Amino acid sequence: MSSASKPYILDLENVLYSYEKDSPFIHDLSFSIPEGGFIGLLGANGSGKSTILKLACGILKPLSGRIKLWGRDLLAQNSRDRAKLISYLPQTLDISVPFTVKELVSMGLYPYDIPPALSVDEALDMVGLRDKADARLTDLSGGERRRTFICMTLVQGAGLLLLDEPLANLDIKYQIELVKLLKNLRELRNIAVIMALHDINMALQFENVILIKDGNLIGSGRPDEVLSQRILKQAFDVDVEVRRSASQGIYISYDNNFAERRS
Amino acid sequence: MRIFILVFVALFIFCCALFLGPQIIAPGPLSTIEREILFSIRLPRVLVAMLMGMALGASGAVLQGILRNPLADPYILGISSGASLTAALGIIGGMSFLGSFTVPVLAFVGALVTGGIVGMMGWKRGGLWPERLLLAGVGLSFLFSALLMLMMSISTDEGLRRAMLWIFGDLSMSEWSRIPWGLAFVVIGIVLSATRARALNALILGDEFAHSLGFSPQRERFILFVSVGLLTAASVSLGGMIGFIGLLIPHIMRFFMGSDSRMLIPASALGGGSLLCIADLVSRSVLPPMELPAGVVTAIIGAPYFLYLLRKKDVLSI
Repeated sequence: MSSASKPYILDLENVLYSYEKDSPFIHDLSFSIPEGGFIGLLGANGSGKSTILKLACGILKPLSGRIKLWGRDLLAQNSRDRAKLISYLPQTLDISVPFTVKELVSMGLYPYDIPPALSVDEALDMVGLRDKADARLTDLSGGERRRTFICMTLVQGAGLLLLDEPLANLDIKYQIELVKLLKNLRELRNIAVIMALHDINMALQFENVILIKDGNLIGSGRPDEVLSQRILKQAFDVDVEVRRSASQGIYISYDNNFAERRS
Repeated sequence: MRIFILVFVALFIFCCALFLGPQIIAPGPLSTIEREILFSIRLPRVLVAMLMGMALGASGAVLQGILRNPLADPYILGISSGASLTAALGIIGGMSFLGSFTVPVLAFVGALVTGGIVGMMGWKRGGLWPERLLLAGVGLSFLFSALLMLMMSISTDEGLRRAMLWIFGDLSMSEWSRIPWGLAFVVIGIVLSATRARALNALILGDEFAHSLGFSPQRERFILFVSVGLLTAASVSLGGMIGFIGLLIPHIMRFFMGSDSRMLIPASALGGGSLLCIADLVSRSVLPPMELPAGVVTAIIGAPYFLYLLRKKDVLSI
């Protein structure tokens, strides 16, 4: 990732991973994430986005290669110490459990014997959920639930947040709200974010993007530099049009795929 | 605060179960007969009821969490079926190599061996998997129940009656000698699970979540499984099988105390102990000198109340 001045907090070096023997799924993957980076991890279904995030937080162990977190080998770190540095939110969050917002957010304190600087109430204020502290998760909207889980990671105090498709199943209002919240937290607390996502236009909101195809990195860098018609065709196997407007930068249209039906 | 109220309520119920019954014992100077009833019959019996109920309530709360299944109870893993089989073997076979400890020890060994088999069958890729545990438990439960029925169908009338009494939960045989052992295993089981309550909360949200919060999901699940095994084995060997408590007390307690396992485990223990004390009091007071099986009374008291709660508010979730 491009960041000349900031130190790297996550380094993947030649990582290889396989779910089945003799059939590598992630091939020789290398990239680095700087402190406070805001990264969109983009790729088609089954391209390896979730696997990469699970490797990056130690749920999966690479067959070869190294993963370093703040310069230290990820797998050599004690699991509680690691939890203070990195937080992972899975794609499917079970919200059928009747925990209250405050109970869930307080779980962010579990890796600590002495509570960190940010209190649960302060974190709830930051995500705008103070008045819902005693509400049950099951009674919240989809956007509020995601915010609750983000709030828990704030209390956890991790400097790197890995989010696996948090925008899935959210309507556009909540998608915008969540991305704005994450940008805000990045400004306030210098938290780096890697978010797996499908929406190509939403990826434009990120500082950098990483494009994955069949477990291979096929592009990385600033969205306006990386997201070309050619590379998006390669990643998603669909023809798109990258349009540029003077005021708002680029946006991506896939209208041309429906042209036949319109005529 | 609520937990202190619950402790007070449990103590009150314990005292009621001790002093009330077919023969009401008034506080004050006791006659020789009253002293005999109180200390030789009632106290061990009520203590056994409290310990068994505590073990079942706490293990139910833990098991519903680690299996992420609101219908899980301590008996679903087949541990009690294993205990029943070995206990029935001892009763029907007339074994007495350890005196009055023979049947409880056989039940305890049966429970632990079954727990071990379920654990082995639920083990894959370096850890215990909830679905495998559940299916292995249900499978073994059916097998052991069938063997138990086979054994009972070929037994004598007297052996059959005693085995049936034991299987349906028999608190009338409670004696002082078993209590220190029962107490030790129940305390170990509850303390072990209560110290892992934070990990249990994280496991309820999923293994990946637990990992992210700094826990090793497989290690934590194994420790909690061991605590459930100890609690169930202790409970079954103290007084046989008492249904309902392990399944429904955690749901009722969630309604009052919330879902945080740090509160739910002790609350379910206290709730389970209290309910079994009430059930035992009712079972020996309704039709004296006849006694009703405590497990039947537990379900008759508890199930309608649970259904009332279910109707008022959705409590059937982990």
